[in-house]
Amino acid sequence: MQPVLSISRRHRIAALRETVAGMEHALPGATPAYLPFGLPEIDRHLPGWGLTCGALHEVIAATHGDRAASFGFVVALTAGSLAVRRGPAMLIAARRCFADFGEPYGHGLRRLGLDVGRLVLVETRLDKDALWAMEEALRPEVAAAAIAGAVEGDLDLAMSRRLNLAAAGSGAPFILLRPPAMAGTSAAATRWRVTTAPAARDRFGTFARCRWNLTLERCRNGRPGHWLIEWDHVAHRFGLAEILADCAPSAGAGQDSRRLAG
Amino acid sequence: MLVAPGKGGPRLVALNRAAEEGGLVAGELLSNARSKILDLQSCAADPAADDAALQRLALWCLRYTPMVAPWDEVNGADGLFLDITGCAHLFGGEAGLLADLAGRLRRFNLRPRLAIADTPGAAWALARYGRADSMIAPPNGAERALQDLPLAALRLSEETQVLLRRLGFRRIGDVIRQPRAPLAARFGAHFHNRLDQTLGRAPEPLSPLAPPPVYRAQASFVEAITTQAHVVEAATHLLSNLAEDFTRDGVGARKLRLLLFRMDGELLSLTIGLAAPSRDARHIASLIALRLDRLPSGLEADFGFEAAGLHVLAAERMPERQALLAVADEIGDPTGLSRLIDRLEQRLGAGAVRRIHPRQSHIPERAVLLRHATDGPPAEWAIDVPCNTRPLLLLPRPEAAEVMALIPEGPPRQFRWRGVLHQVAQAEGPERIAGEWWRQAGDEIERDYYFVEDAAGRRFWLYRAGLYGRDGATPQWFVHGVFP
Repeated sequence: MQPVLSISRRHRIAALRETVAGMEHALPGATPAYLPFGLPEIDRHLPGWGLTCGALHEVIAATHGDRAASFGFVVALTAGSLAVRRGPAMLIAARRCFADFGEPYGHGLRRLGLDVGRLVLVETRLDKDALWAMEEALRPEVAAAAIAGAVEGDLDLAMSRRLNLAAAGSGAPFILLRPPAMAGTSAAATRWRVTTAPAARDRFGTFARCRWNLTLERCRNGRPGHWLIEWDHVAHRFGLAEILADCAPSAGAGQDSRRLAG
Repeated sequence: MLVAPGKGGPRLVALNRAAEEGGLVAGELLSNARSKILDLQSCAADPAADDAALQRLALWCLRYTPMVAPWDEVNGADGLFLDITGCAHLFGGEAGLLADLAGRLRRFNLRPRLAIADTPGAAWALARYGRADSMIAPPNGAERALQDLPLAALRLSEETQVLLRRLGFRRIGDVIRQPRAPLAARFGAHFHNRLDQTLGRAPEPLSPLAPPPVYRAQASFVEAITTQAHVVEAATHLLSNLAEDFTRDGVGARKLRLLLFRMDGELLSLTIGLAAPSRDARHIASLIALRLDRLPSGLEADFGFEAAGLHVLAAERMPERQALLAVADEIGDPTGLSRLIDRLEQRLGAGAVRRIHPRQSHIPERAVLLRHATDGPPAEWAIDVPCNTRPLLLLPRPEAAEVMALIPEGPPRQFRWRGVLHQVAQAEGPERIAGEWWRQAGDEIERDYYFVEDAAGRRFWLYRAGLYGRDGATPQWFVHGVFP
């Protein structure tokens, strides 16, 4: 019982800290706020209990096939940020980023819990323009709730430093989606690698929640880690997948029962 | 001299001075003219190019007044009306304006005939048939000034003129003195209408080149400017001139046009649209700088720009807000975002910044609409509608897949898409989406959508177009989207 209590107390302190940070945000020289995952297992690995707002965070798909999953993770983080912060969300991408698997779909974004009405899409022809647009969006007067970017090419260290600096000025979480197999050095505060995983299912065997294998590869002032997480789009909350408690029937059983029912 | 095909062969349309001195007149047959002058040089007339040149000249004339109307067909389509009401004093009175205009036009190698009068008709008559190259009719003196002009100066039809001449009328003065009723009975109302328009007794509406903007600023430079930095600075200056008017009326600019008058008579015109009304000179100047960056061939300032004008094409009410303590609402601080949208659109082009709007349709690809972010945020998403399984990424068009299913109408067991074979671990469905019969497309067939997860955990949205057993054809499968 004791650890549970302490966790909830820590949560409360974290929430209070966030509220205070939000109040102080308008003042110059404010301390950075955090975007907590709400999972002590993950937040423990990050400095200051959560993703640092006002810093660059990289998300990389493990393979080409995981690009949808990595974009889903970016959308989930954006949705989480929109739920707790004021302002619009920006999604800035070079056109090539969505050439393979299609464009973000409004109803699909909504299904992940994103407030589509507050989303502004920026589509550019080149990576260069997209990076410029991200810097513009990171100006403090825009006061965005979250900024998500996607580039298709490589990002050099100097550019990532620039973006990180711009993000520090903005105070909004800045999540950059990068293509698989691009893992050079960068000034990002964290780097996440996402692999898709079989979805969480309810007891009738139907789809309940998305699941992703999440690897925290690099983290400034934190520790790397690996988790299997799921995104609850209704509560805007991440959860750790409990494999053992998953009561979904296996594929074969599902087929059988359906046939019986038919 | 220029010729155009006419009745009986090519006829002369326009002559230069040498041809006029040789005794040629417009309307003559080219063969007759050749018999008069042996070494005659002629070119085919190009009315379209003439029109374009007149249009350019009309734009250039905007430096004098915002009301410039090119002559229409009835007026000969070879001149311009300038409404200089309230503008003349800026150029040193009517005489000063006329001298300035004549001087500049002569520098363009034109031979202008200019006239200032109370009405467009009187000015037209004086410019066409007046004795001097530039004339000014004193206020209310049109009647006297026009007395000696031929009847053609009244812009009457050819038959009316012939008939009047046969009746012994030669000059305008002759008809002015006649009683109205008999002439009206003979020639119809049109005759007196023309006369009244010329003398200012009846209104003559002009169709100006562009609607005069309510807010505008103009500046001429002592020395021509050539660099982009100077242009931006000049624009900032013009804007700060307008700022007072904006603040007084509580409006902000939504759409602006920057006009740059080049020394050689060319006009560079830039239109700038804003996401939200603004009266901040610095912000708009930064947009102009971004727009100038985007010009395909750079700022072509060969000889430099001698004047600049800024016209506000659309102004909108602008709510006053406190500069520092403005409380951002749910959507966020609107000024910050709209300024960002302005900057992005100027650099990336219109349509690069968009928002997703919902649309009432069952067909997935028709259920959303991307609209310019300047149109404002969508209000409809706020409505809480239960949403079905929809993919995060939707393919621009469905892609065919080879699918194997255990039973014909059942879910897929495995499928090959883009050359990769996916074993289906879980499938949910079908969700049947029927075609929208009211759209009369004809080829809309129902689709059975399945949410499918493969062995690796990747999730897809597949559909079967149509049903088995209809028309004997095997229905095809498509991949339409992917889930995270």
